[in-house]
Amino acid sequence: MKTLFVLTVFGGGLVHATLAPALRIADVAPDIPLIVVILLALRRGPEFGCVAGFVAGLLQDVAAGGLIGVQALTKSLVGFGLGAAGGRLRVTQPLVQVPGLVLLTVAEGVVRFTLLQLFRFPAPFGELMTFVVLPQALYNGFLGAALVFALAWTDALKERAT
Amino acid sequence: MKMRGVLVLGTVVAACLLLLTVQTRGHSTPTAEALAFITTPIQSGLAKMNRAAVNVWSTYLDWKNVRAENRRLREENQQLRVESLQVTETAMENQRLRRLLALQQRLPLATLSAEIIAREWGGWVRSLTVNRGRGDNVARLTAVISPEGLIGRVMEVRSGTSVIQVLTDPASTVGAHVVRTRTAGIVEGEPRGTMRLKYMAREGGGIQVGDLVVTSGAGGVFPRGIPIGRVRAIDDRGSALFHYAVLAPVVDFARVDEVLLLTGDTRHDVAAAFPRDGGG
Repeated sequence: MKTLFVLTVFGGGLVHATLAPALRIADVAPDIPLIVVILLALRRGPEFGCVAGFVAGLLQDVAAGGLIGVQALTKSLVGFGLGAAGGRLRVTQPLVQVPGLVLLTVAEGVVRFTLLQLFRFPAPFGELMTFVVLPQALYNGFLGAALVFALAWTDALKERAT
Repeated sequence: MKMRGVLVLGTVVAACLLLLTVQTRGHSTPTAEALAFITTPIQSGLAKMNRAAVNVWSTYLDWKNVRAENRRLREENQQLRVESLQVTETAMENQRLRRLLALQQRLPLATLSAEIIAREWGGWVRSLTVNRGRGDNVARLTAVISPEGLIGRVMEVRSGTSVIQVLTDPASTVGAHVVRTRTAGIVEGEPRGTMRLKYMAREGGGIQVGDLVVTSGAGGVFPRGIPIGRVRAIDDRGSALFHYAVLAPVVDFARVDEVLLLTGDTRHDVAAAFPRDGGG
């Protein structure tokens, strides 16, 4: 459990640091740690999702050099919320996955913006949403859906093997 | 379970808010430093892994590119080689045809150019097949020459092809004489692919290695003065009636590709049409 946690969160960080720049499309990079947190929360529940979100966000905060704790808070909230609601969602359906990930990314962006407003963050909401959050949300949606599909396929293979 | 979840969430949120509060109260540097103290080794590790992954990836890409480029260059090289060979071949063919044309223009005879399409090079028979036949009015025993000298005579005429008996064929005989001494003899082919000049010893005094042997024109098949070969060795048989001189052909029969068939009147001396060193 702990190994899985460390591997997934730090692996997500590594992938984010390694692949995100390479995966950039029109200057939009996916938020891979957020996708990892969402996947963990769906599979392991709210506590796991919350702690994973906290650690992943904290790493991103420290790496980014801004206010430490913002992404840790938003991602832990997303992780917890999704972990708690995961049981009621049919997340294996692509029609749920893509919009779900898009909405979660947007929600995370809105919470993050709101939180940053307390610290007088200067960027306008509209621009931030149009040029940063929404494109990234769409990207996360498709990338996350592909990951979910890959995981579901791996699980099916495992089941067939056993 | 629910209580535990709420407790975890509360702790995490509290930790985040504490971090943010500490930073807004002007203690951002120590907080960041404290966290950096914990996270820097992790980040360094991640960065190292990242660099390693990137290095491996770029090495792989380089290798792949080099491999692809290598393959492309090999193909290009091969294509250029083929093209170069084609160009060389065309240039050589052009040169040969020019020489043949020049010879055709110099000769006071009616000629027909032909291309060799097959070779029979066994010991029993030595022949060439050309792409001219009955349709081109080729007659049996027509003399066949190249810019270097005599090749042989047509032995068989077919509808679209003719078979030429080469001078080195064991059954080939041609009336000839040595240019320098005017010694007459018969050039015969040998099974081992060479030629010899059979001459009367009494008249043959003075034949030397290197002497040029040309057709004598006797018999009317071959015009007079076509180079046949050069004396390579003399077989002195003492008091025998005939002596033999081994000849090196002036024509490399294995390499000749285009020839001229002498279709007109052959009662001419054509020595002047051949190069001075070949025609004597």
